[in-house]
Amino acid sequence: MNAPQSVNIVMIEDDEGHARLIEKNIRRAGIMNPIRHFTDGTSALDYIFHDSTGPQLNGPALVLLDLNLPDMSGTDILARIKTDEGPVKRTPVVVLTTTDDSREIQRCYDLGANVYITKPVNYESFAQAIRQLGLFLSVIQVPDLGDSH
Amino acid sequence: MADLPADAPVNRVLTRRMSALMVFGFLALVLVGYAAVRVMQRNEVHTRLVEHTYQVENAVLNVHRLVEQGETARRGYMLVPGRTGALANFQRIERQLPDAIARLERLTRDNPVQRRYHLGLRLQLASLAARRANTITLLGQGDRAGALRAFEDDAEIRTIVTIRNLLDRMGAVERRLMTLRDAELRASERAFYTIIILAGALLATVAVISLLTILSYTRDLSRSDEALRALNAGLEDMVVVRTADLTRANEEIQRFAYIVSHDLRSPLVNVMGFTAELETAASALRGLVARVEAEAPALADEEARLAANEDLPEAIGFIRASTQKMDRLINAILQLSRQGRRALTPEKIDVAALVRQIGDTLSHRLSETDTVLTVEADLPPVVSDRLALDQVLSNLIENAVKYLRPGVPGRITVSGRRERERVVYIVRDNGRGIDPRDHARVFDLFRRSGAQDRPGEGIGLATVRALVFRLGGTIDVASTLGQGAAFTLSLPLVLLRQEPNS
Repeated sequence: MNAPQSVNIVMIEDDEGHARLIEKNIRRAGIMNPIRHFTDGTSALDYIFHDSTGPQLNGPALVLLDLNLPDMSGTDILARIKTDEGPVKRTPVVVLTTTDDSREIQRCYDLGANVYITKPVNYESFAQAIRQLGLFLSVIQVPDLGDSH
Repeated sequence: MADLPADAPVNRVLTRRMSALMVFGFLALVLVGYAAVRVMQRNEVHTRLVEHTYQVENAVLNVHRLVEQGETARRGYMLVPGRTGALANFQRIERQLPDAIARLERLTRDNPVQRRYHLGLRLQLASLAARRANTITLLGQGDRAGALRAFEDDAEIRTIVTIRNLLDRMGAVERRLMTLRDAELRASERAFYTIIILAGALLATVAVISLLTILSYTRDLSRSDEALRALNAGLEDMVVVRTADLTRANEEIQRFAYIVSHDLRSPLVNVMGFTAELETAASALRGLVARVEAEAPALADEEARLAANEDLPEAIGFIRASTQKMDRLINAILQLSRQGRRALTPEKIDVAALVRQIGDTLSHRLSETDTVLTVEADLPPVVSDRLALDQVLSNLIENAVKYLRPGVPGRITVSGRRERERVVYIVRDNGRGIDPRDHARVFDLFRRSGAQDRPGEGIGLATVRALVFRLGGTIDVASTLGQGAAFTLSLPLVLLRQEPNS
């Protein structure tokens, strides 16, 4: 995220509270990139693939993905992103969810998830985990999606 | 489902009928045997009688012969008086005659008719003998003419004729007797054959009836056998269906528990997260109130001070404690549901070694509480899931260490025995015990018994029970308050490999 061009963070999270807490803690870690928040899968996919400011048309992004969504499973979104023929498939996806089921984790990595994080219930741990994620986000390189054009 | 024939009455009727038939058959055989013996006896008697008749006839003929021979000799002597050979012949025959007559008398003593004839015969023979003697004497004196005269006497001739007639009649009487006896023998033989035929018919009837009875019984038997087999098959199907139902229900509950606990966690994250945010905000407010009190006491409001310093921290503290407890409870449910989903892998387990291993991991706490864990030497091995059994026994032993009586050194023994296809392990302690009213409750989730002076959520024994059920076993507690407790664990000797729940 040290790219001069601002990398959008696409957060797909149906729980407003979680979204707010995640955002707060990411900001506390010093990450100031714009965060686009979606509470359902349909609008999130629409943004990713069709919006003029979305990753498909506008360049680098990072997806924070919750698996339990009202309209579809997070793994469906993950599969859509990772099987895409266009530049979106290189978008890093961080699965951030409450599930710690080993089969679910395996499945997400099989589908191409880049990072899988279980949300700790304990808030201190939660806040710390998100802050560490923020620190991680501040050092990782996000591919410039425009390169492939 | 076919009805089973009421087998007990059928059996009784069959037994009664078969024994009656056997008695009939036996009677018929006895009858035949009896008849055969009777006929044999009759034959024997008849044979003796026939022989007797022949002997009588023989004796009659003998007497007849001697009489005729004597007559011939006498006549010969009269014709040629000089021939002493004839006289000698005559005298020899006269000597033989009494023996022959005596024999005839012996043989015919039992028959009154013959006796009468015999009497007549003796008289006639005596008279004949007297005349013969007279003739011979006259001849001896040389009076041949006198002898011839005497011979010519009519009476003499009649005597010999009478003797002949008498002897003929005696023979006829015997022959008639024999005819009668032959008829009797034939009648008894006929009776014998009739009895044999009747008995044969009876035996044949008995055999046919027995055969039919046995056939019908066998048919009944095979029919009830079929019915039984059908019932069995039905039962097996029912068991399969029930097992499938139970498995489905269990899976449903597991899934439900997982979803519930999982989805309950999500809002809890918010509650806890925002409580933390609130705390941060409250501490900022507390700082502000403190500054206001210090710098502008006029603005300080007692209500605001109380809210910032006491009410807010108190409320936040309660929310915290409650959410933490809720978190632990949800974790417990999640853990239980996870255990239900784990695939079991049966393997042979040396339970004594397993218990000693558990004792090693607890050694610090054991020595701290002055507790001795004893493993009995004859602990039977079992084929089961090692992880699950480890958890069960660990929980039970940990509980025993946890709930000791203060001041009493702990004594925990693990014993076991084999009971046919099951193994039983008993974890016994001398701790504070469990009130009998709570024996069922202690296995329920979130339920605890006795003084709540030890940490815990009431999860351990619920987990134990869930695990034991999954291992196909049962668990029971026997205890009185203050007397220690004994947990009895019964497991199948061999846990069958299960398909993992999906």
